[in-house]
Amino acid sequence: MRQLLALATKDLQILLRRRSAWFFTLIWPVVVAVLFGFAFSGPPAGTANAITVAIVDDDATDGSRAFLTRLQNSGHFDMQPMARSEAETAVRQGTRAAFLVIRRGFGARSRQMFYGEPREIEVGQDPSRKAEAAMIEGLLMQAAAEDMQRLFSDRQASQAMVDDALASARTSPGAPPQLMRFLGELKQFVGSPEAASASGGGPAWQPLRVTSATVARERVGPANAFEITFPQGVLWGLIGCMMSFGVGLVSERTRGTFVRLQMAPLSRAQILGGKALACFVSMLAVQALLYGIGYAMFGVRPSSWALLALASLSVTVAFCGLMMLVATLGDTEQAASSSAWAIMMPLSMVGGGMIPQFIMPAWMNAVGVVSPMRWGIRAIEGALWRQFSLVEMALPCLILAVVGVVCFALGSRRLATA
Amino acid sequence: MLILDDVRRRFGTLTAVDGLSFAVRKGEVFGLLGPNGAGKSTTVAMAVGVIAPDGGRVAIEGLGNPREAAVRAHIGVAPQSLAIYDMLSGVENLRFFGNIYGVHGARLEERVAWALEFVGLTARGADLADGYSGGMKRRLNLAAALVHDPDLLVLDEPTAGVDPQSRNALFDNIEALNRDGRTVIYTTHYMEEAERLCDRIAIMDGGRLLALGTLDELLAMHGGRPTLVVQTARGEARLETADPLAELNRLAATTTVTSFHVERPTLEDVFLHLTGRRLRD
Repeated sequence: MRQLLALATKDLQILLRRRSAWFFTLIWPVVVAVLFGFAFSGPPAGTANAITVAIVDDDATDGSRAFLTRLQNSGHFDMQPMARSEAETAVRQGTRAAFLVIRRGFGARSRQMFYGEPREIEVGQDPSRKAEAAMIEGLLMQAAAEDMQRLFSDRQASQAMVDDALASARTSPGAPPQLMRFLGELKQFVGSPEAASASGGGPAWQPLRVTSATVARERVGPANAFEITFPQGVLWGLIGCMMSFGVGLVSERTRGTFVRLQMAPLSRAQILGGKALACFVSMLAVQALLYGIGYAMFGVRPSSWALLALASLSVTVAFCGLMMLVATLGDTEQAASSSAWAIMMPLSMVGGGMIPQFIMPAWMNAVGVVSPMRWGIRAIEGALWRQFSLVEMALPCLILAVVGVVCFALGSRRLATA
Repeated sequence: MLILDDVRRRFGTLTAVDGLSFAVRKGEVFGLLGPNGAGKSTTVAMAVGVIAPDGGRVAIEGLGNPREAAVRAHIGVAPQSLAIYDMLSGVENLRFFGNIYGVHGARLEERVAWALEFVGLTARGADLADGYSGGMKRRLNLAAALVHDPDLLVLDEPTAGVDPQSRNALFDNIEALNRDGRTVIYTTHYMEEAERLCDRIAIMDGGRLLALGTLDELLAMHGGRPTLVVQTARGEARLETADPLAELNRLAATTTVTSFHVERPTLEDVFLHLTGRRLRD
């Protein structure tokens, strides 16, 4: 046992000192997990639904500014003030979804109720983006309705508004007599106790109240994109370890240290076992590190730690076996490395190591069953978010274990006859 | 100490070793001399248990077949290709090799320190072997073979690619080991090394043993007689003779000898006599 540990310790020491090996065993897997995770996550929270608009405020009054402030605070718009020509260019070039022109008189017309021209906002947008146009129009109408609700919810403001409207109507030659009568009755109403009770609470002026009930959806998918990309990253880490130790074994053969070990009082099984033990330990360490990063920084939460341990052991066994096979793929480090990559790249592609399985075409998914990457990802996802039972975990884990044992046996045999 | 009895080994159609028999005595430096491809390394590989002979018997006296791991624990090997780990320091290399030979704890530290001192690498022991010169790597290779204090030391072309200074240091090391009574098998294709270091020499070619004996025995049997070279008034004369002194006296009685020297036969002459070609051909 001491000899086995000495062999494994030696290989781990060498791995730690070969910085070039770190890239594929540690850095690349983290890059895959994190960058792909961000790519599949979409934009950061809070900006996902904000429509980017350019604002041209031709009115530039307190009323228009107050309206724009309320639009900004609604969170529905990501607004940027511009001159009209700039705004048109921004929409044409696609850097802004639309532009809003607050027309002159907007502030003054805010106080004119029930007569005269309405407030006007011009929306400039590509006519092909109909859904977005409808959304902008709806959001603007909602803001305008909220303005009116706010006005009638404030007793003093509503009285002032009616007084203004009456005074203005009296001096306007076109104001119809019916309007004068309506405004007079409105003035009486807003000054009445009923209106006071209604305006104090506000709800009477609220056209529609929408309430919400919180019902957490049962978790059937990944909590976030990182729960998909971290299994991929883990498998790239395992490939890195596999390549490092497999090519390291070829290097021992070419440099003569493998024969030197055979001259020592060691069996072939001990020599290969020591190599496999070092590979096994490093693979577990890489997985622990990646899951640690995922847990601490990216919200990766396994549904079962026990099943995750089972999945980790299974993929480790599989890739340790593959490592032994890699060591027999060439007589030189370069030949073995090239051959191994030539095999692993397509297996990674169809197995979901490069792109997630859910966006693969059907044929690729079907072909992927031959790839140990597929079963590795299946097992890890089963423990992370697919909520596999022990029975469901059995198939991928068994396949991985068989792959590992068969490849190890094949590799050992080929090394013995080399 | 080591017995090879009618040992044969083929690789495909190539006969690497053909009916080789010899016995290495305890405490001697036994040389295996032959050109490249003579079968020396295959012989060494069988002697240390890496490969099994197709026929014949290999045994360490009192221990058994070196194919058994327990027997190999008594053998130290410094292979021709440098079998050390560049990414480990000198000390780490020796600790590793000590460990796999079953040396642990305080004994291991003691042996590592001794081996480093023996090969003159104590000051560089903490450095990675990657930074060592070729000669230093050779010395570390030797130290790795010695760290477990083996009964039998096998050195396969230990001076390959070594500068003269390191070569002399290695010779001193081997002579010191021999003085301590260690049994050493030394393979080389340099006759000067065999002449300097070996108590007995086996000359191999084409996988077969051509001759075996001490240097004097080999020279006497296969080297021919010494050559007396004399300078007289009539010019230079070369005379093969079994007794150069008597011949010189005879000449001096009849003519004036201005200078003379004796050319003794070498292992090169022995090899030439045995094979019809030179060792370095």
